[in-house]
Amino acid sequence: MTTENENNKLNEDHYEIDTLTNDKLIKGHEYDGIQELDNELPSWWKWLFILSIVFAAVYMIRLWVFRADDLMQAKEFQTEMADASARQAENNAGEADFELVLLEDAGSLASGKETWDKICAVCHLADGGGLVGPNMTDNYWIHGNKLEDMWAVVENGVLEKGMISYKDQLSKQQRLEVISFIKLEIVGSTPANPKEPQGELYE
Amino acid sequence: MDLQKFTYDNRISRLFMLATIFWGLIGMLVGLTIAIELIWPTMTNGVSWLSFGRLRPLHTNAVIFAFVGNGMFTGIYYSTPRLLKTSMYSDILGKIHFWGWQLIIVAAAITLPLGITVSKEYAELEWPIDIAITIVWVVFGLNLIMTMVKRRIKHIYVAIWFYIATFITVAVLHIVNSISIPVSLVKSYPIYAGIQDALVQWWYGHNAVAFFLTTPYLGLMYYFIPKAANRPIYSYKLSIIHFWALIFLYIWAGPHHLLYSALPDWAQALGVVFSIMLIAPSWGGMINGLLTLRGAWDKVREDPVLKMFVVGVTAYGMATFEGPMLSLKSVNAISHFTDWTIAHVHIGALGWNGMLTFGMIYWMLPRLYKTKLFSVKLANAHFWLATTGMLFFAIPLYFAGFTQSLMWKEFTEEGFLKYPNFIETVTQIIPMYWIRVLGGSLYITGVILMIYNMVKTIKQGTFVPTEGDEAPALDHKKPNKDKGHRWIEGKPLIFTVLALVAILIGGLVEFIPMFMVKSNVPTISSVQPYTPLELEGRDIYVREGCYTCHSQMIRPFRSEVERYGDYTKAGETVYDHPFQFGSKRTGPDLAREGVKTLRNYKPDSWHYNHFMSPQKMVAESIMPPYPWLINNDLNTSNTAAKIRVMQSMGVPYPEGFDERALDHLKKQANQIAQGLRDGGIDVEDQKEVIALIAYIQRLGTDIYRESNESIFSDK
Repeated sequence: MTTENENNKLNEDHYEIDTLTNDKLIKGHEYDGIQELDNELPSWWKWLFILSIVFAAVYMIRLWVFRADDLMQAKEFQTEMADASARQAENNAGEADFELVLLEDAGSLASGKETWDKICAVCHLADGGGLVGPNMTDNYWIHGNKLEDMWAVVENGVLEKGMISYKDQLSKQQRLEVISFIKLEIVGSTPANPKEPQGELYE
Repeated sequence: MDLQKFTYDNRISRLFMLATIFWGLIGMLVGLTIAIELIWPTMTNGVSWLSFGRLRPLHTNAVIFAFVGNGMFTGIYYSTPRLLKTSMYSDILGKIHFWGWQLIIVAAAITLPLGITVSKEYAELEWPIDIAITIVWVVFGLNLIMTMVKRRIKHIYVAIWFYIATFITVAVLHIVNSISIPVSLVKSYPIYAGIQDALVQWWYGHNAVAFFLTTPYLGLMYYFIPKAANRPIYSYKLSIIHFWALIFLYIWAGPHHLLYSALPDWAQALGVVFSIMLIAPSWGGMINGLLTLRGAWDKVREDPVLKMFVVGVTAYGMATFEGPMLSLKSVNAISHFTDWTIAHVHIGALGWNGMLTFGMIYWMLPRLYKTKLFSVKLANAHFWLATTGMLFFAIPLYFAGFTQSLMWKEFTEEGFLKYPNFIETVTQIIPMYWIRVLGGSLYITGVILMIYNMVKTIKQGTFVPTEGDEAPALDHKKPNKDKGHRWIEGKPLIFTVLALVAILIGGLVEFIPMFMVKSNVPTISSVQPYTPLELEGRDIYVREGCYTCHSQMIRPFRSEVERYGDYTKAGETVYDHPFQFGSKRTGPDLAREGVKTLRNYKPDSWHYNHFMSPQKMVAESIMPPYPWLINNDLNTSNTAAKIRVMQSMGVPYPEGFDERALDHLKKQANQIAQGLRDGGIDVEDQKEVIALIAYIQRLGTDIYRESNESIFSDK
């Protein structure tokens, strides 16, 4: 009993009560009029902190001890690429019956135009007049104007002149569509600022 | 005991307060300018010092160091003497601090638009200014510590703890990150290179957020919220735990800025887990601030000061939850390099720092001028403009960042990138950029209302230059019977040393292995130093702030390897003083721009035309034109000196190469220019654009080179 009384006395000494919240004010804690309450850490806060530390420990152990694949980015990358190439192989199975013939239907030409605007226009300009790349509207060709010639340029690029290969970013179908679009819609049109002819004249 | 009389100097707080609002307005207007430039790239056509790449560092520096910096000093000089029952140690040091800091800001405002920059984010200023910052910062710290020494209150209050942590940590961060070797008065190279430089920089960058934007403002929160609400602090115990946890954990989290980069997995993992562990300590500050308002919520409804504090602290809570989430690798894979980050940091800057600053000024101003605030109505209007402005700023950018990132990553069924041309992903989010401009304008309108309100209040009041107070002297002979944390609160110097130890550990644990263990930066034998012309071109790249919009860090994702080429390796960056990874992709990544077999490759003539007018090459491009690169002659007066500085840092140019450097440069420039002339472009060898093209065409090519023979071996 004595101990309890002593404790109470000590507490009264140590604390006052904040009238608005009934929380204990810590005695002697006053700074320019600012007092401090003796509230405990909220228990949800403590648990949040503890859980985050557990998360950290598990994470580091998975990396350091178990060498978890998903925490090592080189492995993560290999997995992603392997998945993609497996899917690719499935998709490519259908490309076997591909034939290199000029496409003239409106759908293919519209799709070809889309590719042209997105990719080719960056160097050959939207109207085909040429700037960095040659003028595509005239009948002068550096690498030939047959379907096969143009296919080879798009497929392999002309690296020394800055034309890159598009075989990794356009499907066969897309490549054929854009070549058809060039042959049928760009060649023979009238651009705003045509670049001077390059290559040989093909009739 | 005898009461001693002393005074509080309001003049220094007033000076800092006026500077806060002046630079704040300027910093925000620069921000608005660059936000408009992103939708109207040709707005400042041909004016180099108004271009996005030069103004963006000015915006970030002005808001961080001029607006928030002066804001923190306003509050520190007001609260510290009152909390310690003494005048500040020295009014002269205070004045040196104030004018020195303003002079540094002016120097930044002149040099950054001129392109004088180191390019390390929020540490762009060149070495003479860095030295000035160090001196002024020491002056501030000395004044703070000596004021504690002559205090009349035995224990230092939690606000002061945060001020101490701010002072020592910013000093350490600034000095370690800024070490560089000068080439001239306005040019230097950091001693760290590549991935190591990146680690140091983001240790600094992340902790600039922590110890310049967060800890000092937590200190201000701990003073001004209880003062304004007239309520006691919710929990002293929480103050202790969250303070030490915050400063100890924060310093480790820097690597979360380099997730999926060439940084080793272990370092990235530390960045992740320490960010997650920061949620609770950060929220400790938020709940101690908000719960202090218990019993005063009726006041909050009416008082614009408390309203601003509540929104500010809530924004802090949001940003410090979002930050750790962005540090999870799976989230970061989407958010990084996008406008998501821009939205995130503006919740912090506009919400936390802005609102707390405004609230503090609305509370302090009438007290400094012994009057009432001119118009509470206008202050309330400011509150609503700032809140809605912040939302109109951030929400569209969240949407923009998310949208663009998904577009970058999307593949077609055939296995090709759905949006192979980068510009499509830009055009898509332009409407969001418009709304951001609206949000920023609302926010700035609020600040203008505040300035009007301040002027009117100042006019109707009379300034109180000093306020008197009295307290008994501190009895140093009395034995310290305190236990535990209370004991070190009575020993501010020991407190300072302990805080220093707490903030050093994380950095050391990350730096020592990264610099000492070779396997962390595996060597690639075909990687060689830049040619003199490329080096000069790289300096132009740095000068123009290209890194503010273009990254040079291809992450190991299928979508990035497909778009940009093989992912970036640590060993490729070893001669990059400073590193140029960037943190934002407003334009495409350039890490492998020079590799001819990759899809992003463009010939020299394309680059030439593109610098002259990006819109000519890509109609919807939002890159500004760079006509001055085509008109300016390349300054080669320092080329030899640059080579020597590089050699002194271990970049393996052949011995005596500095003397041959200029010849080498001219020969390479002639080759490139001749190629352009052959293609019909009228250009001279010595133009700046030639050097920049040389650099860009070198990017990322080293690991594709077949021979390991030195590219400098032939004359």
